[in-house]
Amino acid sequence: MSPKLTWKVLRKDLALGPRSPIFLWAIVLPFALTLILQFTFGSLFNPEPRLGIVDGGDSEITAQVEDMKGISLTLLDDAEELKSNVEANDLDAGLILPAGFDQAVKDGERPELQFYISGESYASNRIILSVTAIDLVRGLEGSKAPVTVDVVSYGTAGLPISVRLTPVIVFYALVMAGIFVTGSNLVEEKEQGTFMAMLVTPARIGDILAAKWMLGTLLASVLAAATLVLNQALGSNWLQVFVVVAVAAGLSSMIGLLMGTFAKDSTIMFGLVKGLGIFLFAPTLFYIFPQWPQWIAKLFPLYWILEPIWRVSILGGSISEVWVELVVAVGITVALVPVIGLVARRVQAQMASAG
Amino acid sequence: MSRPTSRPALVGALLKKELKAYSRDKIYLFLTLLVLIAIPVAYTFLPTTVSETITLAVSPPVTSMIDDAKDSLRAMGATDEQLAELDNADLSQQQEGLQLIEFDNEADMQRVIEGTLEAWRTDDGELTLRDKEAGEDEPEGAEKLGLDIGIAFPKDFITDVAAGKSGVTVTVYSDANVPEEIQGAMTSFVREAAYQLAGRQLPVNMADEQSIILGTDRVGDQVTLKDKLRPMLLFMVLLMETFSMASLVSTEVLQRTVTAVLVTPVKIGDFLLAKTIFGTFMSLGQGLLVLFLVGGLTVQNWSLVLTVLFMGSVMFTGLALYVGASGKDFMGQLFYTMLFTIPLLIPAFSVMFPGSAAVWVRAIPTYPIIDTLVGAFNYGATWSSSAGSLAYAAAWLVLLFGAGLFALKRKVETL
Repeated sequence: MSPKLTWKVLRKDLALGPRSPIFLWAIVLPFALTLILQFTFGSLFNPEPRLGIVDGGDSEITAQVEDMKGISLTLLDDAEELKSNVEANDLDAGLILPAGFDQAVKDGERPELQFYISGESYASNRIILSVTAIDLVRGLEGSKAPVTVDVVSYGTAGLPISVRLTPVIVFYALVMAGIFVTGSNLVEEKEQGTFMAMLVTPARIGDILAAKWMLGTLLASVLAAATLVLNQALGSNWLQVFVVVAVAAGLSSMIGLLMGTFAKDSTIMFGLVKGLGIFLFAPTLFYIFPQWPQWIAKLFPLYWILEPIWRVSILGGSISEVWVELVVAVGITVALVPVIGLVARRVQAQMASAG
Repeated sequence: MSRPTSRPALVGALLKKELKAYSRDKIYLFLTLLVLIAIPVAYTFLPTTVSETITLAVSPPVTSMIDDAKDSLRAMGATDEQLAELDNADLSQQQEGLQLIEFDNEADMQRVIEGTLEAWRTDDGELTLRDKEAGEDEPEGAEKLGLDIGIAFPKDFITDVAAGKSGVTVTVYSDANVPEEIQGAMTSFVREAAYQLAGRQLPVNMADEQSIILGTDRVGDQVTLKDKLRPMLLFMVLLMETFSMASLVSTEVLQRTVTAVLVTPVKIGDFLLAKTIFGTFMSLGQGLLVLFLVGGLTVQNWSLVLTVLFMGSVMFTGLALYVGASGKDFMGQLFYTMLFTIPLLIPAFSVMFPGSAAVWVRAIPTYPIIDTLVGAFNYGATWSSSAGSLAYAAAWLVLLFGAGLFALKRKVETL
């Protein structure tokens, strides 16, 4: 193997790679998934009761709801718009606070509370919003409540869904850039005959495969790190994060290289990624559902790269906590080298006899 | 020597050729079968109920609190009418959105919330406690309760609050994972109960419940996830066929087999008609198969559902013709198709969210298709109530299908 020739092949791939639609998809996907999963679908997994308020006179109630956690507040200007939003279930409930409402309550005038509930809102959300609204109105009176309520909390709160979804997005960054780009790049070279053309130059098959692996590792590292930054999951220990991300990118790129070496054409490459998709994806589910028995995740190869990213980057831990996982990941990566070599020699022989 | 051939016979021959090419495309054949098996299987596991209730533990039982309080309140001069009010305020009776589990002992309730004791309920409603750590067996014929928040009232809560005694304290035990809005609501709930018991009326007038509920009241009759996903899955089956159809067209353009076909008596119109029939048939056929497996057709909605599925099939066939006309290789074609189909999928996902879709989602061509399907399956939509959506869908259909035909025709003519 010649580092100089490897570098030449890598430089060619870096120059020509961005012309491929797969390359572009690999770059776009982490951004698109972050947008879709975190900003759009995040609320699907963790829905908050939605309250709309039309405030005609700077009510204290509005200010207090704004400060509350767990209630999604929408401020509207028009009472009819609020009612139509409530009716369409765009809001679970709506509250109309006319000018002078607070003062009228304080003066004991018993004004009408214009509170509306959507017919499609869940009963639990109705209770939460109704009881909260009444409590806030009571608060306007200024008198002391006849009871003191102490809250005793047990355990520690689980991580929010937005954090638990981050491994899913990192996974896609690694799979697209590490596995798909690496494998497809190699397969395209085989399909277009440029792979054979390179082999008649001084470059040996090892140089070409090493360049492809480096391309995937580089791209997967950059995109996985970018994904972590986008999801605000890149801790201050960035040097340690870089190590775990590089190990992850290295293994995923090695898997891509194996698939690319094995696959005769793009169809088989696509079929391999699709067919093995659930096997590769499975460990990410255990981060979304932490109550599942976690040992099962260890049966899947990508667990050994996702767990270090999870613990070091997302949870801000130290690399020393995940040395076992890193050793296993590097071990799998190294173990795949002779397997790829074997497959590559067979493919080379087949191509030579076909040519 | 030539034999006169009718146009239908030519189209029929082309359809046979399409079917053969389709069956040879192993990867898409595999993916089609996978989708046709996976979707109905996954559908059977979707939840058929909607959880819209907060389960709340209470100690001591509300009825015993009321019974204990009655004697004291009577001694304090409360009338029978006032005491009867207490019975009306019994929280243990069925309340929408709130399920009470009553504990005799505060310590037991505390341990259940803490997670060191399990609460089970038998078929006859009896509460049974199980100490798993102590090796106790699971009670037979009982269901485990998921309790993570509970209220511990002091024994003389009602009497003390009614008498205006100061320093009355109620403890809310909560697991740290309970959402803050529920913790807050339970705290508010206790305070309001105390206000009522202390005889302090609400500082506002409230309209009756029926007049504040806007729209059809669906409490206890919410659309389940299973019902919500039915139209989405059917829509996805239709859309998935775009990939295989686009691949078939693309291969034909790339390998220029279409030019060979056109030196026979086949005209370009026959070629386009065969592609349209084949694409629509494959897409609609798979949609109908999945519809048969997941169910949902009723006497009221069948004609509307089938019409919309047909419109969707033609729309996606048009898209496949447009995308396939580019004549790219496998990977190029795949990602080019994704470029068009991913935005078209967005309206399908919007059905999972409550409320109406955003304006930009409604502007997507597939929105009226999924909107009509959702209406027909879940909200009793009729032909007249769906007329607007159908007209909107038809306009997009004409545009997309026309674009597909035009693009492919032009491509074939330039080959």
